[in-house]
Order: sequence, then C-alpha cells, then structure tokens
Amino acid sequence: MARARFDQLLERFFYRPEEPVGAWLELAPEIAEAVEDLEELPEEFLAFELSTETYAVPIGAVREILKVPVVTSVPRVAEHVLGVMNIRGEMLPLYDLKQRLHLETAPPRVTGPSDVPREARVVLLKDPEGDAGILVDLVRGVVRLPLSKLEPAPAMGGERRAVAGLGRKDGELYILLDVEQALA
Amino acid sequence: MAPPRALSEFVAEANEVLETLAHDVAVLDAQRGREPEPELLNAIFRAAHSLKGLSGMFGQERISSLAHHLEDVLDALRLGKVLASDPLLDAILEGVDVLTLMLREAAGDAPSEDTGRRAASLAEAFARLASGGQVGAADVLDEVGIDPAVRSVFTEYEEHRLRENVKKGVALWKVRAVFSLEDFDQRLAALNATLKPLGEVISTLPSSQPGDDASIAFDLIFGSARPLAEIEQAVAGVATVAQLTEKPVPPSAPRPEAAPRKPAPRLELSDVSSPELSAWPLSSGSSGTTSSPSGVMQGAEPSLRSLAQTVRVDIGRLDALMNTIGELLTVRANINRLAEVARQAGATPLPKLWAQELQKESRALERRLDELQGAVLDVRMVPLGQVFDKLARLMRRLVRQSGKDVHFEVSGGDVELDKLIVEELSDPLMHLLRNALDHGVEAPDRRIAQGKDARGVIRLTAQQLGNKVQIEVGDDGAGMDETRIRQVAIERGLATHEATEELERRELLNLVFLPGFSTRKDVSELSGRGVGLDVVKTNLARLSGLIDIDSRRGEGTRFVLTLPLTLAIIRALIVAVGDRSFAVPLNSVTEIVSVKPAELRTIERREVIEVRGQTLPFVRLARVFGLREATNDRHFVVIIGFAQERFGLAVDALLGQEDIVTKPLGGRLKAVPGIAGATELGDRRAVLVLDVGALLEELKRPQVAVG
Repeated sequence: MARARFDQLLERFFYRPEEPVGAWLELAPEIAEAVEDLEELPEEFLAFELSTETYAVPIGAVREILKVPVVTSVPRVAEHVLGVMNIRGEMLPLYDLKQRLHLETAPPRVTGPSDVPREARVVLLKDPEGDAGILVDLVRGVVRLPLSKLEPAPAMGGERRAVAGLGRKDGELYILLDVEQALA
Repeated sequence: MAPPRALSEFVAEANEVLETLAHDVAVLDAQRGREPEPELLNAIFRAAHSLKGLSGMFGQERISSLAHHLEDVLDALRLGKVLASDPLLDAILEGVDVLTLMLREAAGDAPSEDTGRRAASLAEAFARLASGGQVGAADVLDEVGIDPAVRSVFTEYEEHRLRENVKKGVALWKVRAVFSLEDFDQRLAALNATLKPLGEVISTLPSSQPGDDASIAFDLIFGSARPLAEIEQAVAGVATVAQLTEKPVPPSAPRPEAAPRKPAPRLELSDVSSPELSAWPLSSGSSGTTSSPSGVMQGAEPSLRSLAQTVRVDIGRLDALMNTIGELLTVRANINRLAEVARQAGATPLPKLWAQELQKESRALERRLDELQGAVLDVRMVPLGQVFDKLARLMRRLVRQSGKDVHFEVSGGDVELDKLIVEELSDPLMHLLRNALDHGVEAPDRRIAQGKDARGVIRLTAQQLGNKVQIEVGDDGAGMDETRIRQVAIERGLATHEATEELERRELLNLVFLPGFSTRKDVSELSGRGVGLDVVKTNLARLSGLIDIDSRRGEGTRFVLTLPLTLAIIRALIVAVGDRSFAVPLNSVTEIVSVKPAELRTIERREVIEVRGQTLPFVRLARVFGLREATNDRHFVVIIGFAQERFGLAVDALLGQEDIVTKPLGGRLKAVPGIAGATELGDRRAVLVLDVGALLEELKRPQVAVG
C-alpha cells in the first residue's frame, strides 16, 4: 500500500519539463504521449528544519508562512495537535510534526511565541480536509530538487508513511513530506 | 437550454413564487370546510399563473405544464364552477409538493421518473376536477334582474362574484363617483379602501356618463349587506349609491345605461378549454388604468417583475459580513486599550487630553458597530412560517395516510428566527410531529373508549420569549408509557434494572433521548415513542437549543424546544481553569454559585452539591479536560441547565461576559467531544467554546449505561 503510493508520487516527480527527454522517446516512443499528459509538476519545495533534519513540502501545498501566534491548546485531541490558532478570524489547528514523526518524544507544550526560538515559524499547509499549520524550527527557503534523483525512503519502521521520498542537492538530504499523511 | 446564470435566476424567482403559493395554499387548507375567501383564491390563482409564465419563459416545460393545470383548476374554483371539495384541496396541496420537487430537480437534481409520474397523474386529476362537478343551479342573477347590457360587460369572474353575493342575500349597489383626471387613481383607491370593510367591490367600470373632459366617472359594483344609509354615509361627498338590481327592491334607482364605453383590450386570464368561457367577451369594461379592486387585473399581466421588493443574499456573505464586524470590534478594543495606556502614561496634559478624545471616539465607534451588527443579524431573520407551511402540508398528507382523525393546529408562524436555525429546524420538527401522529394520537375507536373526542389534536406553536423562541409540539394522545420505556431501556442494555428503579419519572422520560433507545424497525411494536429522538436532541444541541418533555398518561405529550434567536452571536460567560479560558454559552447557564470544598458531598463517590434544595452533579472542568487542578478555598460553580437536566460546572475563576461568534475548529478537529468550537476575544486569542450538551451526555453515560 505505502509502496504503491510512493511509486505513484515518484512517477509524478519523475519528469521535469526542461529535461531533455529525446533519448527516452527514441527508446520508448509510446510513452511520449503519456509524458505530455502529465500535469504541471511540483519541482519547487519549501525546505524547513525539524530537530536536526531537513524536510520539504511541494511549494504548491503551502498557503503561507507565519510567525508563531498564540496557540490555544485543545483538550482531548491527539498528542501532536498543539492547539488552535486564530488566523485573521479563522480557527486553524497547529500540528507538531516532531511528535508525529517521532523525532522527539516529549517536546515542550507550545502556547505562543515565547515558547519557541525566534526562528521558529508556522507553515500553513493547504489540505482538502481543512488547512492546518505545522510548527517548524526554521524555514530554509525554496529549493529545486532534481526530481529524477528522488529515492524512496528506506524501510526502517517509524512513520515512513508520512515520507514521500528523499531528495539530495548540494550534499544536503531533503525528506519530502506527504502532507496528507503527516497531518493524519 | 438556458445558461446557468439564467437558470439560477429562474430557480430563485420561481422559488419565491412557489413559497407564496405554498403559504396561501396552506391558509386555504386551514379554512377547509368553509367557503374560500375570494381574495385568497385570487392570490393563489395569480401565483400559479406567474409560475406558469415564468417557467414557460425559461423553457421549464414540466413546471409550466403542471402550473398550467393547477391554474385551470384554481380558475374553475374561483369562478365557482367547482366546489372546494376535499379531493380538490388535496390535489392542490399535492400540486404544490410536486412543483416544489420539480423546481428542485430543475435546480440541479436529475428529473426523477417518480416526480414525472406524480405530475402526470396530478395533471389528469386536475383536468377531471376542473371540468367535472359543475355547480348546476338556476342563474340567480336572472332572478334579481340586472340589466343584460350591464351584465354583458362583467367578466366571468365578476359575474360569479355577483352570483355569490346574491346567493348570500346581499344587496348589490352601484356606487358612482366622479374624479378629476389628475388624481383619479389615488381617489379611486381611497374609495375602494372605504368600501372594502363594508362589503365586496365586485367590479369597477368606467362610467358611461362622464361629467366633463377633465374628469372621469366610475361605477363600482358593490355587494354589501349594510343598509343603504350606512354606505351612503361612508362615501358621502365622494360618491352616490344606487340599487343595482331591479328586484327584490323596486327599481326606483335610475337604470344604468349600457352606453358604449372605451373597450380596453385585456389578456385572457387563462386558456381554460371550457367552451362556456370562450363565449364571454374578451374585452371588459375595466379600464386598464384603474387598479382593479378584485385583483383580477394583476393576474392578467404575467408580471416579469419579482413579487417582492427583496434582495436574495447568500447566507455565507452575511457570515463574512459578521466576521468583518467582529474584526472591527477587536480593532476597536485595541484602540481603546492604546488610548487608555496613553491616558495613564501621559505625563504632559496634551497627550492626556488627546487620549481622552480618542477614547470618546472609540466609544462612539463601538456604538455604531453594535448597530451595524444588530442590523446584519436582523437581515438574517426569517419567519418560522417558512418551515411551518411545509410541515403543515406534509402533516396533511401523513394524516391522510395514517387513517387517524387528527386536527393539526399551527400558530406562531410569524415568529422570526435566524435563517440557519429555521432551516435546521425542519427535520427535528418533522420527527416530533411524525411521532405525535404515529405514537401519540390513538386510533378513533380507542379515543372514544377513553371518553375523548374521536378527533385528535396535534399542535405546533411558536412564541418568542425575550431573546429565546419556544416551539412546542404537542398532542392530546396516549402519553408516554414509563413501564414500556423502562423495559425497552433495559432490553437495549441502556440501563440496568436497578438503575431504572431509582430514576424519577422525569429522568425516565429522558431515556428516550439516548442513542439506540429505539430504531426504525421498532415503530410498530413500540407503544411509547422515541423513534430517533436522539437525533432530534443532537440536532437541537447543534443549534444551542434545549428540549423538554412533558407527558401525562392518557392526556398527551408535549415537546418544548427552546432556541436562541440567533446563532451568529451569542452571549457567553468566560471562565478560567488554571491559565486557560473557556467560553460557556450563557443561554445554558441558569445561575452561578460559589461553594466551599467542605460543602461538597459524594454519592457513590461522585461529587454533588446542593443548590436551593436540589442535589446536582458537581463536575470539575479541569478534571474533565485533564488539566491541572488548582486547590481552591472555594469553587465557582456555573450551574448549567440543559434540557431538563442541570449540573454544576466548577471553574477556578469567572472572567466576565462577552458576545461571541462561535467558529468551528479547523476542519480536522471537527469532533472534539465537549468543545463546540472556538471564538476570538479582544486580544485575538482563540478561546474554546464549551459544548455543554455533550458534557452533560458524558456525565450521564456512565451512570445509566453499562449493565
């Protein structure tokens, strides 16, 4: 199941419009049409740090980046839900991916700007089930990842379902998040 | 196909017409057995006519065709060709239902065959009803003796009204008035208004004898049972009154002359295929410029204008507006705070004065914002009648199907509530009414055996009480059977035998609101009630509403629903537990008390408090939500009244009252038990709003459940 999902995602990441594909087409002319059918592909990612690791989400999935607002904790919800934020009148949940991804076992409760380092940000993600924010330690910026070099996450247990794949650039390892899974 | 834009306009407009139609038909239905009011019949006829024209214009053949048939029947009814029989009224009610369905299908859903079938059989029924059942009688107009020349100018409808008046033994008068051409329309309308309370203005004919070039004379054919002197006095100085008929009063009055008059072309009201109708002249004496008192003229013009002076607005836009106002209020609070700071900190007099001015302006701003908020809330209000009319129609059908004899009474349709609440109410009310019919009212023979009137009564009433609205669904049926409720609750594993033994009647009745108390398939075997009542309760809780049962064996059952006027803004009590604040909707708070820890008692290790001689469960909010509990030397206890239950909610502090707008927690946190949503307070922080109904459910569950 997870594997099939990865393949599907990889398939989407695989093709870059500006990449010379002539050689492929000669090898497999029948895929030429299929390649054209592919939609505009995510190739720009927003990279951010969680604990010591660098994660990335497709830039299209990002609604906005905010300074950490006051967070109202909500009782009786999953551990990794930090609470709700009032974003210009809209109530949006804030998630702690460090817990979700088991990067840290018991991070301190975050209730507002004073609980986090100055560089910490909230990345608001667009999601059909309802937009939500994730708390990150630092926003690195936008990276373009060579999609042809994405690799699947090695099977090591843990919350690998939330990881769509791995990308490398300039010696840095980017862990691509599957937004839907990460917020589940 | 009409473009989507046009379609949506059609649907909106047709919906409006249909609502008017449905409302009037409901009134007609309520008057069943009496002679229908001519004004009402005309209004219904006009609405059917407008709907026909409108749907025809937009190429909605199905609706247009059925509306046409409906119009035919109504025309026959209003012309007295057919009687307002029960089958006819039923067919008209069904017609409104089918038209509503068709409109919904035109709006998006695919046309269903079922609707098509219903429409076809209805069209057949209409055709049969419209042609059949002629009211055959000797023409009374011949007997009283009206000049045939005068008669020839009456429309069929006017003639019918004349006949009706004669049948009732009402005298017919000719009221002649001469008005200046400049203002005759206003003065004619004024004359009509004067005459109306005295009788019926059947027709307005421009007179054959105008006074001079600058004026115009009218003959108002007027039916009234009042003495001549009274009519003359009423119109003194404006018009003269003369007898119209030759008999029974001797023809002392001047005979009206049928001189040629300006024939005004007029549209056929409808293409009734009756040959009788086509024999009548297409033109009548009524001048197109006069406002027709009988209301027929309006019907004759298939008006392209909307029926009402209204603007339709998506409720979402109003919500957005409310949000903006909420934000403005927050901004105002901030300005006020800044001004306060400046005033306090200002060492020199100038900034101090300036800050005072700022504060004054800020208060003015707040007042205006309050007004604005009130105005937007007002816009959202709609009369409950919108739902009541639909329910009345449905009940009419259900009663027929049930074979029971039930009188359905509705009142309070003019009470206004927030649009969202009104919409959400239809299902719960339907549920309760259905229950009253299925399980409340007994079969006629059983009622007689119990010495009751064979005809049962189901009541649906609404009244406004302060900032709440109370809706009552009551019947005079068998009432609830406690023994049966107890039995079912035990059978379903909702309560133990021991537990039910201890329950009082009131608590026992409340068991019917438990999920799983009863399911659809038990309808027939249950002598009591409780079909899906948990759903009703949940729906109401979502609307911040309360439900109460009052049931007496053999006397009937009453469900009382208490609802806030609006959901958009509610007054809330802000409480604190530790450093966290929560909002408690004030409409569920009955009082606030303070108790010392020593005053707490326990029953089976559950804490209780005594408030005015009543022992109530004591619930620590901190414990419910797993928060750190402070050690207080006294507890603030918010007494929450929800439906018939009450409990005390202990908090650390009370922070005050606020008007709040409850917003859902982001999509992913929809169903947090005990939390209804969040709201923002002055400092922009999100504050959670408690769902007291859910908290109460939790409180009760372990008590009764688990056998």
